[in-house]
Amino acid sequence: MLLSVDRINVFYGSARVLSEISLHARHGEVVSIVGRNGAGKSTMLKTIAGFLRPLSGGIKFDGEEISGRPPDQVARLGVRYVFQDKRVFTKLTVRENIELAAYAAKVRLIDAIDLVAQVYPNISMFLASKAGGLSGGQRQLLLIGRAIVGSPRLLLVDEPTEGLAAGAIEEVLKALELLRDEVSMVIVEQNLSVVSRFADRVYCMKEGHIAAELSDPADVQNQAYLETYL
Amino acid sequence: MLNATLRILRKFDLLVIAVLFLLLAPIISMDRSIDFMIFCIFVLAYDLLYGYMGRLSFGHMLYLGVGAYAFALSGEYLSGNAFLALLIAVSSGAAIGLILGPVVVRTTGACFALINLALNQLGFFLILVAFSHWTGGEDGMSASFKKIWIFNFSNRTIVFCFTFVCLLLVIFLVRRLTNSLFGILLRGIKENETRVKFLGYDTFAIKMAAFILSTTLSAFAGALFIINYSYVTTSFIDPLRSVEVIFASLIGGAGSVYGALVGGVSYKLISNYLPNYIQRWEMFLGVILLLLVFKFRSGVWGYVVDFINRYERPAGESKSHSEVSR
Repeated sequence: MLLSVDRINVFYGSARVLSEISLHARHGEVVSIVGRNGAGKSTMLKTIAGFLRPLSGGIKFDGEEISGRPPDQVARLGVRYVFQDKRVFTKLTVRENIELAAYAAKVRLIDAIDLVAQVYPNISMFLASKAGGLSGGQRQLLLIGRAIVGSPRLLLVDEPTEGLAAGAIEEVLKALELLRDEVSMVIVEQNLSVVSRFADRVYCMKEGHIAAELSDPADVQNQAYLETYL
Repeated sequence: MLNATLRILRKFDLLVIAVLFLLLAPIISMDRSIDFMIFCIFVLAYDLLYGYMGRLSFGHMLYLGVGAYAFALSGEYLSGNAFLALLIAVSSGAAIGLILGPVVVRTTGACFALINLALNQLGFFLILVAFSHWTGGEDGMSASFKKIWIFNFSNRTIVFCFTFVCLLLVIFLVRRLTNSLFGILLRGIKENETRVKFLGYDTFAIKMAAFILSTTLSAFAGALFIINYSYVTTSFIDPLRSVEVIFASLIGGAGSVYGALVGGVSYKLISNYLPNYIQRWEMFLGVILLLLVFKFRSGVWGYVVDFINRYERPAGESKSHSEVSR
């Protein structure tokens, strides 16, 4: 088992936002988390990444307890977080954005750029541009490309297609398609066509807890069935 | 033509800066240009925290004052060797950064600004009252050093040359650091520290390094001020004077070595010459601050850079690249 979340409870102040959540992801698996806004999907990813500390329960990554560890330590174990809202470093150049990832992963910059070019083939044209000048789709590709520098073992991808036009969504999905054989992923997504295309298993979240776990491919690929959980 | 000129200027920027400061001396007097150069070192030190890391400090005079007093006190009580005193001043700056850093760098925004102000206030009263027996309190103390080889610091030309070399070394150091991965990390932390952590960086260590570097360079500037003035008073640690370095950073444009130099020189020109024409010249600074906040947020150098970028961008190239459109 690559990731194992065991009955975690997370609070924002006195409000419980995740309640007795358990989920897991195997090596090479793509797991999707679906649910309405406010169901706790992004909170789940932030907790795995170390941004939030669960009050109880445990999170194991490749057999190692990571619950409550700071985000930098979790990242160094090989867990990468692709942020919601296309949050690149807007005031840094594209090259500098990649350089930050390259140094952290102990990869040469030139090799890192080659890696990013796998998912974002035109990257070399924009290396000297400020990342803030990129379009939403380009930023998302940069984020995904940056996350795979250093061969991570698990990608946490938060709403990768949110707010993108159809053409840009297709580019992002192609990038994720390329990666699915190389790295395990936990994808939070509301776009059910994306979920049914990528996920091996689906967790449906409702009001801070897991309402259902779907592992039958027929259920996972049935968008109408998935919709009943939203 | 402009592109070629800019390329040459960029390549030999340290030489250009050196020539400009040398030209400044006969125009504004050697004494003033020494003062300007030391102040520029202080602005460079401050800009590491404010411009690059996004931490506004209201009490940076503390670190300058520590260097100034460490320099004067070691001259008075330890040895008349100016270089030993300089080493002690710089070490004191690093030490205070190391001691206060673990508390100070954990804070951001208003808390960071105010905690520095509070510490500056504390330091000011320690120098003024608690340690007045050694520091001379409000009267301050003189500082004189014996001549070592050619370094006779009562000779203004020697002080000018020494300060000039120190400024160039500090510019070289700060430019190297801010152009390296360290500089990218500082700018990353300024934009969003959490995202830097998610990439696997221990941001506390990076912020500590920047803070200690800033306090050390500030203390170095403090010691140079004492070489220049040969006395130290509480005005070198007065928290009210922290506003000077903030103004200089804002005027020049924060987050740039050139901006810090432009800001340092501009502020000193205003504060040295405006009082000759306007009695309440500080009001003019208030007007400048309002203009900067509302109209020229990136400062003088920021606007020069914007102009150059506009000129250099080939016609027809759009701001956003959109082969993947949103």
